[in-house]
Amino acid sequence: MNDTPKLVALLDTLMPGDGIDWPAAGAHGLADKTWEMARLQPDGEQAISTMISMLPPGFNDLPEDAREAALREIETDEPAIFGSVVSFAYNAYYTDPEVRDVIERVCGYENRPPQPLGYELPPFDESLLDQVKARGPIWRAVPDS
Amino acid sequence: MTERVDVVIVGAGASGAAVAWRFAGAGMSVVCLERGGWIDYDQVPSRSTDWELARQTTHHPNPNIRANEWDYPIDDADAAIKPMMYNAVGGSTLHWGAHFPRFRPSDFRARSLDGVAEDWPLSYGDLAPYYEENDRIMGVAGINGDPGNPHRDPRQMQPLPIGRGAERMANAFDSLGWHWWVSDAAINTEPYGEGRGACNNCGPCDLGCALRARSSTDVTYWPLAVRAGARLVTGARVFEIETDASGKATGVAFCDESGETRRIQASVVVLAANGVGTARLMLLSRSAAHPNGLGNQNDLVGRHLMHHPTGMVTGVFDEPIDGFKGPFATSILCQEFYETDPERDFVRGFQMQLVRSDAPLGTAVGVYLPRVPWGEDHHQRFLDVFGRTASLTVTTEDLPNPENRVTLSSDVTDGDGLPAPKMTYRVDGNTKRMIRFGIDRATEAFEAAGAVETLPQSLLEGAGFHLLGTARMGEDPEVSVVDGNCRVHSAPNVLVVDGSVFVTAAALNPTPTIQAIALRAADALIRDRAGIEVAA
Repeated sequence: MNDTPKLVALLDTLMPGDGIDWPAAGAHGLADKTWEMARLQPDGEQAISTMISMLPPGFNDLPEDAREAALREIETDEPAIFGSVVSFAYNAYYTDPEVRDVIERVCGYENRPPQPLGYELPPFDESLLDQVKARGPIWRAVPDS
Repeated sequence: MTERVDVVIVGAGASGAAVAWRFAGAGMSVVCLERGGWIDYDQVPSRSTDWELARQTTHHPNPNIRANEWDYPIDDADAAIKPMMYNAVGGSTLHWGAHFPRFRPSDFRARSLDGVAEDWPLSYGDLAPYYEENDRIMGVAGINGDPGNPHRDPRQMQPLPIGRGAERMANAFDSLGWHWWVSDAAINTEPYGEGRGACNNCGPCDLGCALRARSSTDVTYWPLAVRAGARLVTGARVFEIETDASGKATGVAFCDESGETRRIQASVVVLAANGVGTARLMLLSRSAAHPNGLGNQNDLVGRHLMHHPTGMVTGVFDEPIDGFKGPFATSILCQEFYETDPERDFVRGFQMQLVRSDAPLGTAVGVYLPRVPWGEDHHQRFLDVFGRTASLTVTTEDLPNPENRVTLSSDVTDGDGLPAPKMTYRVDGNTKRMIRFGIDRATEAFEAAGAVETLPQSLLEGAGFHLLGTARMGEDPEVSVVDGNCRVHSAPNVLVVDGSVFVTAAALNPTPTIQAIALRAADALIRDRAGIEVAA
């Protein structure tokens, strides 16, 4: 049986998008990548399969509030499996280049690895320490120190 | 033919590297056996676009999750705090945040001052020159004059930039009249050491520093040690300290990279495999002279396992503070509540360290914050918190408890079929009360800083990054495993130079103290070597 439509609906329920900047995770085509993320973890594929098997019949055709209610029930009953699947979905979404472009556009966080550019930060301003310096020693002396 | 050397060292991390340099510099023949290999700096994840995934997989700090070819499993089913360590040349300094604080003088005198635990058989004054020497080799960024600590020599480099979140918290600490100081960090803020560049504030020090700016010992001590003549063997999994009929060590047995069993004979065996690995090896080393494991005649090896149980409060600000910029773990700290106060319902104290915020994926899956909720509000919540948080750890002093321990697992084995170490650990009531108090104080600080939301975590399960106390030092062989010079009481040509020897844990990061103790122990052995009995 093809589980992809259910997984797409599941992803769209987890991260539905906002219709402006953020894409809905399933419609954005992240089902395969979610499987890929699951395969990086022991028992990851089993977690997704179990999760899909727990979805009610016709899940992908349910209205959004009914899908959400179904997922809340599974989250309560099987928190470990549910949590794993959410992590796989987030891993797929937040490493997707187009989502990283959204983050750059909306938050200013550049879509690039930390290296080689790093980040500029102003040097430490030592005058910030004036008040604490004025307080004097607070460490506890011992006879042999 | 079996190789014979003056010193064989097990473990090439923080302390093994330091003593390899010291012994080799004294003209001794030195071999260090390390189960891992050298890190390839061209392959560090911070150069790739999916670098955040590495934190959950190939570079996860927990060896049970990372499970790479250099790791061994740890049975942690009965441990409230899970192990975090790395096996490679450089050891756990390779994924370390590089906080570089020193113990306070009072940390060595918990029994005398506060009536708990035991005093150490050495003092802050004994270690002070070694702290200074170690600082010069590792390279420390910071500023002198901290009123929370005794005088020390000028730091090698100017401090790290602390960022906007830390500036807000510094002002908050000032408004509350609390101590704070910029963190000493073993991270270059200018080129320092051989081939080591300056930090460019990229953030994920834990994934390996592409610039070699973070002072892991593969780029600090090891080049010096190798030049001094020390020989480093990688892929060497030591499984026994061999002894003669009198109990003195004759050398070690290990599996090499090809799986062959090999032996090295040595006048002195040095254990530097951390508080879990060293205890495991001692327990594995049973012989007629040590039927319960080397040095374990009083059933003390592996006992008194200490961590730094850690709570955390994350504050959310109403503006971006770019917390993803800068070394993730190091900026400023607060030691206002470090010493015992009889007005409180716990003894000893804690330190608060400010942690910067996470990158996008880490924010979403929840590291310092709870996981961003799924569903309709997911995207708005992400925007509310991403780049707008800072976190204070509540890093507590863990009192030694003999029931917290490392033993040999009866359920889990490693790739060579040997019993894995088993950690048994629970958090005691004193620590729980301390964390509760600390969370209230951290919350108070964030409120003073204008945070719009504060989110506490009472105990971080993944706080097993400091593995201490499992071969404690002391002058009385009935209640300790090694003496004040780190020599095993019942096998004095065996030194333990890692965090296993700690008598108490203090409430801060142990690496400078581990390395200072190791250098001091090496000097004592060099000084006394003519009088130390070795196996025939």
